[in-house]
Amino acid sequence: MTALEGIAYGFGVALQPGVLIYCLLGVTLGTFIGVLPGIGAMAAISLLLPITYYITPEAALIMLAGVYYGAQYGGAVASILLRLPGTPQSAVTTLDGYPLARQGRAGVALFVSMISSFVGSILGIVVLVLLAGWLSRAATAFGAADYAAMMILGLVAAATIGSGSPVKSFAMVVLGLILGCVGTDVNSGAQRFTFGQTELLDGINLVALAMGLFGVAEVVGNIRDAERQGSPERVSFRQMMPGRDDLRRMPGPILRGTGLGSFFGALPGTGSTLSSFLSYALERRVARRPERFGQGAVEGVAAPEAANNSASITAFVPTLTLGIPGDPIMALMLGALVIHGIQPGPMMLEARPEMFWGLVVSFGIGNMLLLILNLPLIGIWVSMLRIPFRYLYPAILIFVCLGVYSVRGSAFDIGVVAVVGVAGYLMALARFSPALLLLGFVLGPLIETNLRRALLISRGDPLVFLERPIACGFVIATAALIALSIWQARPRLRRNTGESDV
Amino acid sequence: MTHILTRRATLILTAAALAAPAFAQEADWPSAPVHVYVGFPAGSSPDLLARIITEPLAERLGQPIVIENKPGAGGVIGIQQMLANADDGHAIGTSINGPLTTAARMMGETGFDPQADISPIALIATSPLVLAVSGESEIADLAGFVEAAKAEPGAMSFGSVGQGSGAHLTAELFNSEAGIEMLHVPFTAYAEVTTSIMGGEIDSGFMAPSAALPHVEAGNMKMLGVTSAEPFGQIPDVPVIAGNAGLPDDFKAELWNAFIAPADTDPAVIERLNAEINEILQDETVQQKLLDMGWQAAGGSAGDLTQRIADDTEMWGAVIDTVEAPQ
Repeated sequence: MTALEGIAYGFGVALQPGVLIYCLLGVTLGTFIGVLPGIGAMAAISLLLPITYYITPEAALIMLAGVYYGAQYGGAVASILLRLPGTPQSAVTTLDGYPLARQGRAGVALFVSMISSFVGSILGIVVLVLLAGWLSRAATAFGAADYAAMMILGLVAAATIGSGSPVKSFAMVVLGLILGCVGTDVNSGAQRFTFGQTELLDGINLVALAMGLFGVAEVVGNIRDAERQGSPERVSFRQMMPGRDDLRRMPGPILRGTGLGSFFGALPGTGSTLSSFLSYALERRVARRPERFGQGAVEGVAAPEAANNSASITAFVPTLTLGIPGDPIMALMLGALVIHGIQPGPMMLEARPEMFWGLVVSFGIGNMLLLILNLPLIGIWVSMLRIPFRYLYPAILIFVCLGVYSVRGSAFDIGVVAVVGVAGYLMALARFSPALLLLGFVLGPLIETNLRRALLISRGDPLVFLERPIACGFVIATAALIALSIWQARPRLRRNTGESDV
Repeated sequence: MTHILTRRATLILTAAALAAPAFAQEADWPSAPVHVYVGFPAGSSPDLLARIITEPLAERLGQPIVIENKPGAGGVIGIQQMLANADDGHAIGTSINGPLTTAARMMGETGFDPQADISPIALIATSPLVLAVSGESEIADLAGFVEAAKAEPGAMSFGSVGQGSGAHLTAELFNSEAGIEMLHVPFTAYAEVTTSIMGGEIDSGFMAPSAALPHVEAGNMKMLGVTSAEPFGQIPDVPVIAGNAGLPDDFKAELWNAFIAPADTDPAVIERLNAEINEILQDETVQQKLLDMGWQAAGGSAGDLTQRIADDTEMWGAVIDTVEAPQ
């Protein structure tokens, strides 16, 4: 079946009323839980899982997928208006989205985020259709050495995310790396920093960490000055219209974000959180005036939103073509298919074309529905966040607790949120960037496991990083990036020593 | 009956009142929804397996069954949570073999003693593992595999889903019985192991048949042997390892999944559950559903399960001894 035939066939599946209604249900629910800080797609999909027993597998997958990518749209709303990321993926959107909102340009920030999400998703679908076969081969071609080299490039590239003191940024990345070490070491089975707590054997829960750092810390911080700030302004469709300057700034970041997002989404285990961070770092890199970032740069909203939405689409490539879930939410969706006796894998495209093409077309339909839900109806979602702070913030804390608990039914994780929340508040006071901590936390275990696995397989020979073409490419790129940074910093250093103002 | 309550009588009455829920169980258990603790996330294989059984079980018990997914530490947290919520007598659980047999050895401290704290109910199903290699591998069968491994000791590698996992220990058992040496490369999920095998990074791996099957059908992987005593229903063409390529005739390694309860659960409740679960496992549609997921329906008495736990603890304990022995 060619791609065109497949799409035509997919329309036949996705436009059935019994399927369409579940698509609408999925994306609406996804937006809703995305807007609510704390509750993510994981919670919603876990709750919907029992329902999927009673509907067709196509409808089930399309509904659950709708929740998954719908949450990426909604996640940006609270990031921009309250600096409370609705999902870990949208944490980086707070960096420039919130400053834009403080400047009275919340509507524009929301518009940029919605359009970037939409374009990122649609381009992600195109990538999915055209390159599904190639991407799934790429996923198997990537070995441990390649992952390790790529993640190190990511870490170096992303070290520029923080806009404050480089020492503080470095400290946060390292702290994140250390927190990422907590749990059972995959290679040796040794327990690290678990202090006899069984709950820590699988490491610190990402959602608990992200919600503590961003959610709780922000709520606590706002208790002090909530009354002064007032509720987020009312946002109408008209206020969302961006100026010509904003429009001019969008295409580049959206395209670059989509490129990064599509690529990282297709690689299992790297995920959309990482792609949104890296696309932000890339924009700062290529910007003519990087100091605008963190002060309300439109590019800082457009790129990560395009990246995480395109990643959430291409993440279905390894899930459906290899049976490899890229993240826990994908694993849950695979479970929904297994309930129906469908084993996702390389044969699925041929054996169950209605699943693959129906899903692909539903992505398109779902994203159109999301654009309709989010642009003209943005006022409804914003009004959810305009509830007076004295009601909204306690409610958010409850949602955070519910959302974190729902990930693995663990009361211990709620304790983690509380501890991290206090730490996050103190960090915010001292102007340490929680985004960098989160980045170190996500990247650290990936780098460590893959680095050690690569060396284990090569019997300790470090040349494996130069012998494998993919790994070698990343090593060269990393070296070039470091050289470039040093070269760029040179004149500034000289000037600094000349002025000797320290 | 108008005696003034003495202090002693009060004590006795209080004790009786405290013990009442335990006595009440016999007559009208279950008097409330039954909570089934599963140590793996919703949608995972152990979770789906539990759901296949609990759906008809709830009908038979006349009370709803709530699945409590408490994932973590290879299933250990699910058992901990079951024990922590044992008070009302309506908490039972399912567990894979690991937490009941090898976890204490691998983790040091699990917070419970499988002998003293757990009351086995019934074995649900068993699953063998298959030894798989890349579809492009020149190795055609088990004898060829053992020969290749013997030719260059330590050169062949195998992937597993973690230190001390069933996949790891099965491979170590295979190594010692076949008299070969292989490099262990731990991963965290079968999907990673299969990807690494197909990418040519590692040579082989023991895995659940359903993890290998889609790739075998696509021609990207080959299955050389299965660890059960008889050929397995889901993959009837794959030869058994036992008695093949110089391995002993009694070579057998199986993962299993079972219903368990806290140790102080009323024996009558255990008996009732065992009988209902065994009847459910007789149903052919249930058997087929299990087989489609790579599980062979098992059943048997609670005593059989107790024996199985003891046997496997001893067998895998010996394997762990050889792995941990200084080389």
